[in-house]
Amino acid sequence: MLEVAIIVAAIAIGSGVALLAGGLVGIGEGYVAGKAVEAMARQPEMEGPIRTTMILGQAVSESGAIYSLAVVLLLIFTVVLPLVNRLLELL
Amino acid sequence: MEAEVLFYIYSFPVSKPLLFTWIIMAVVSLTCFFLTRNLQKVPRGAQHILEMSVDGIEKLVVTNMGPEGKKFVPLILTIAVYVGISNLIGIVPGAYSPTENLTTTLTLALIVFVVGHVAAIIKKGFWTWFKGFFEPYFFMFPINIAGEISQVISHAFRLYGNIFGGGILLGIIYMLAPYVLPTPLMGWFGIFSGIIQTAVFTLLAVIYIQIKIS
Repeated sequence: MLEVAIIVAAIAIGSGVALLAGGLVGIGEGYVAGKAVEAMARQPEMEGPIRTTMILGQAVSESGAIYSLAVVLLLIFTVVLPLVNRLLELL
Repeated sequence: MEAEVLFYIYSFPVSKPLLFTWIIMAVVSLTCFFLTRNLQKVPRGAQHILEMSVDGIEKLVVTNMGPEGKKFVPLILTIAVYVGISNLIGIVPGAYSPTENLTTTLTLALIVFVVGHVAAIIKKGFWTWFKGFFEPYFFMFPINIAGEISQVISHAFRLYGNIFGGGILLGIIYMLAPYVLPTPLMGWFGIFSGIIQTAVFTLLAVIYIQIKIS
């Protein structure tokens, strides 16, 4: 009983820590968008290619956040939910 | 995260993503069938939309791959239309986005992967293609293989994670505040994020094929 509760708590803390990647990726993508706006302001005729490159770069750098999201979802849906259900049954 | 089975056709399980994939296939096929019945030289009505989408994808592919990429336009357009409708169908109450399931997105990513490699073998010949894995040095082989595999995984997980994560967030908001608040969030996660993710998935498919054949 207590062991299961400790496991669930540890996984919850780990999931929260893993989502830090989302914040860091947010910083990076905001930086990319700001630089793209600067480039567009300097050369408005290049707006189309700049936007395409910006979205591509952001999509690639988003991989890190997506991986952490996938890890968190896997942890919560395959480990935590069955354990929580078992805990509730025991209670 | 197994998909729930809705009903059986002769012991063949039909799950929710599969059912909605069939619905989208039927809708897209019937729409294309009826819209292309009497095409005219001077477009009018719905023919504008058809020509616009084909032109847009063709421009995207040709600017990235050059004129030789024209043979990939049907594949890319199919992926764009399918992923776009799958993402947008999520805002219909009771409907389910097939892209909310990892199987769908992983299949699409694998299709892009196989098409890219087969096109590379046809274009460059088997040995040149095979030697590409040993570039720049022969001991880079495992790293190149890992790069190829992670490309497929990140391509699939990007779409799946965005749509599934948005769906989970919407579900939590529904539990907490079921009335006014979900509507703008639904617009954000359903429409805006869905269209952006469609554009990203299509663009990445084009880029991945282009990297493999060049």
